[in-house]
Amino acid sequence: MKREIYKSQVKDAGTHGMLQIIKEVAFSDDPRDLGYMADNVPCQRACPASTNIPGYIRCITEGRYGRSYELNRIYNILPATLGRICSRPCEAACRHGEHDLGQSVNICHLKRAAADLKPGMHRIKEDLYAPSGKSVGVIGSGPAGIGAAHDLAVFGHNVTLYESMPEAGGMLRYGIPAFRLPRDILDLEIGNVLRLGVDLKVGVMVGHDVMMKDLLKKHDAVITTVGCMAPNSLGVDGESLDGVISGLDFMVRTNLGQPVPIGKRVIVVGDGFTAMDCARSSLRMGAQSVRINILSTEEFMPVDAHEIHEVKVEGARIYSLVTTHRIHGSQGRVEGIEFLRTRLEDTPDGRGRIAVPIENSAFVMEVDTVIAAIGQHPTVDFGQPLVMNGQRIGVQPDRFLTSVDRLYAAGDCVTGASNVISALASGRKVAQEVDERFVGRRRRTQMVRFEAAEQTDREREYDFIRPVAMPTLAVSDRFDVGENEVEKGYREVEAKRESLRCYLCSLKYEIDVSRCIYCSMCIDVAPRDCIKMISGVSENSDGTYGDYGETGNWNEVVAIAIDNKRCIRCGQCYDVCPMDCITITKTELVEVDREE
Amino acid sequence: MPKDDHYVIVGNGPAGNHAADTLRDEDPEANITIISDEKPLYYYKHRVPAYMVGGCEFEALRIRPYRIYREKSIRLRLGQRVERVVPQERCLYLKHMEKIHYTQLILAVGASGRRLPSHADFSEHLHCLAGFDDAKRVREAMMKSTRIVILGGDLVSMGLAREACKAGKEVVFILYSSLFWPVALKAEIQQNVTERLTALGVEVLVDTEPVTDVQPQEGGYRITLPDGSSLSADLVFSCFGFVPNIRFLLGSGINTEKGVLVDHMMRTNQEGIYACGDCAQIYNPEFKDYWLSVGWGNAETQGVLTAMNLLGGKSVIDYQPKEIFDMDGVTIRTSWWKSFT
Repeated sequence: MKREIYKSQVKDAGTHGMLQIIKEVAFSDDPRDLGYMADNVPCQRACPASTNIPGYIRCITEGRYGRSYELNRIYNILPATLGRICSRPCEAACRHGEHDLGQSVNICHLKRAAADLKPGMHRIKEDLYAPSGKSVGVIGSGPAGIGAAHDLAVFGHNVTLYESMPEAGGMLRYGIPAFRLPRDILDLEIGNVLRLGVDLKVGVMVGHDVMMKDLLKKHDAVITTVGCMAPNSLGVDGESLDGVISGLDFMVRTNLGQPVPIGKRVIVVGDGFTAMDCARSSLRMGAQSVRINILSTEEFMPVDAHEIHEVKVEGARIYSLVTTHRIHGSQGRVEGIEFLRTRLEDTPDGRGRIAVPIENSAFVMEVDTVIAAIGQHPTVDFGQPLVMNGQRIGVQPDRFLTSVDRLYAAGDCVTGASNVISALASGRKVAQEVDERFVGRRRRTQMVRFEAAEQTDREREYDFIRPVAMPTLAVSDRFDVGENEVEKGYREVEAKRESLRCYLCSLKYEIDVSRCIYCSMCIDVAPRDCIKMISGVSENSDGTYGDYGETGNWNEVVAIAIDNKRCIRCGQCYDVCPMDCITITKTELVEVDREE
Repeated sequence: MPKDDHYVIVGNGPAGNHAADTLRDEDPEANITIISDEKPLYYYKHRVPAYMVGGCEFEALRIRPYRIYREKSIRLRLGQRVERVVPQERCLYLKHMEKIHYTQLILAVGASGRRLPSHADFSEHLHCLAGFDDAKRVREAMMKSTRIVILGGDLVSMGLAREACKAGKEVVFILYSSLFWPVALKAEIQQNVTERLTALGVEVLVDTEPVTDVQPQEGGYRITLPDGSSLSADLVFSCFGFVPNIRFLLGSGINTEKGVLVDHMMRTNQEGIYACGDCAQIYNPEFKDYWLSVGWGNAETQGVLTAMNLLGGKSVIDYQPKEIFDMDGVTIRTSWWKSFT
């Protein structure tokens, strides 16, 4: 494995400095090391696509935006897109957001910063395999389809992408409004996938314009990633009245540029991202009052606080603890919604809440347009019988193979409506399955990469930097041109400041027991209970390390150990150790070629 | 035998103090602690505007001396912020990481100033006036000021205008009729309010809501109106009612919506935890809506009732929907509105 060192990494130390950095690098697929990564780099573990988050954030600190963008692209293919609309499971897992440690790093905003700030026309890197001569049809060009097409093309297979809509992108293009995701950004990133030789056929509806059995004849394998495009219905009286529209239809028609008549008073029913998008789009289309009615409370909404803030700032109101009972109308037109109040009851595990209607609590809200955005389910109409899993396509667990040989399925049509990053990750995984079918073995695998680090790369003061807010367009400037992007993106100085907040959990701190003199100075300076006197370490049944056995009794102490799950990588122990027996290793979960 | 019950009350306002007094009257043995992030002793909220403009000192606000708490053996922990509550462990954590166990907990944390979403871009330049801390922060600047602008409002903004005029300040009141709290002003009441304020010597601007910008300029602030004209002031206040202080409860497992959701006996969904006063939100079957109740009288009544229920009582909150208003979809019950209209 060749190392590449750039002068920007060594500043004034020049070539000598660069040569000094080059040291041995180790790769491991030992379950203990993989388990270590899962426990200790929580953001990367939370990301369905396993994006190397500390790695790309570090690149931003160093001002290497192009590298940061490419580091993202290896894992998630569409960084500029995801940097705007990802549901951010990583941020919920970020160690900086643990109790008493402040708030999570704005990981998603940084992803976007890498895309925004990268140099113009930077080099796109793709490690291509030799052509295989195999052909794969991918149905649907949403995040899952794009993920699968990209990886299959890299593996050297011929990919044809069938899309029923006029342009590629699926939910990204037709489910998300332009003020959250500008179309030129989406075009550019999808274009980077298509230029690998992916043949895009738009306006082709499988099961209508072309039959599944013909596709299976034409291709060596077919993957369906048709997503969830059928809206769930409210299941109440009056749903078919004029002026009642599903959230998905509303967004698709708006994004196709078709006129969608809406009245002055709009009520959106639903609490997800689509509901928020519908509310914000309605305001841009001239609605005077927009209410979002949700079953439970804001605390349990599946969207982040930032989104809730924006929707309120733009003028929509959120009404909690109501459920739709029936829709009133006259002469075929909607006039009002009858709601019931709800109360919250605990789910059996005590963590979630179920909203239960309260008896005799009906009341009516007058309305001109009702947008029901309460989720969607797949429509599978290929003219090909398939074993289903409820409304979803049934597949072999982790193998993505449907009941029809050579026909695979991935993304939301398998899992039910999820989020962009999960669908994309599942598209990448099905590509591996299909490739294994062709080649007879796995060609890519995840390994832990170790490299000695010379310094902590952190100052204690970084831990107290407050999160840098995303600059947004003034509310008054949002409505004249409804497509104006609301979030403006970090400037360089803001990106760097936010990037410094990252604890760099990928740095592993260890005490060399053979040199430790048990002076316990490191324990004295530790900011929290991260350094422990231990009597042993347990091992889990899957071969990973378990918890430390802590002891306060010196007779039992076998080592002073750093609990990397508690460690915030402040570097205090490293600086204070009189024996220099604390080592820092840079660990990274990387995808590498499997040795033949 | 001494009892080891520890009743913890978060909040040092009328609800908290009435709850504490009732608990002490009924249970002479128990440990009772009041925790509040505000430093001053129990004080009259309606006198805060007078204190802020320099019209009186804090002593005039104080309701009772510390001696009373010593006599009642109620422990006061003032200036200490509760960071989070962990119902499973029956404990709460203070900002300085101290852990406090409770056997029963009463949340009487009150509310703070409601900020308008349309002011979000410049809200850092606006002062609220929900309690003593707000007043103390701005008191010095207020006493030096000659001209203030109030964006309002609510009853606090009216009190502030009156006290500021009394102290010889020039006061401009930008009246937000449609966003008045707790209920939008109809033309007749708007007229009434305008006349009363004008009689005090306040310059009232109507139909100029909402201001589009507030930015610092030399020696004060510049306020831009929707028509593009602007005015200047030494200080700008924004008074639009209150929102319950419930942020610290998010994720604790205690159900919240606008306030802490409690049943008709002031119990939250977590065993041993009650809420009362401005922060409690109750479903009213007669009104078919959740309500927040605001005002000194309501808080006192709820504090007493909560304490009695905590000790095993079965009293139910009074459901008569009097003085109830709908604001932003939140139904509010106040005990002071009548004095205003």
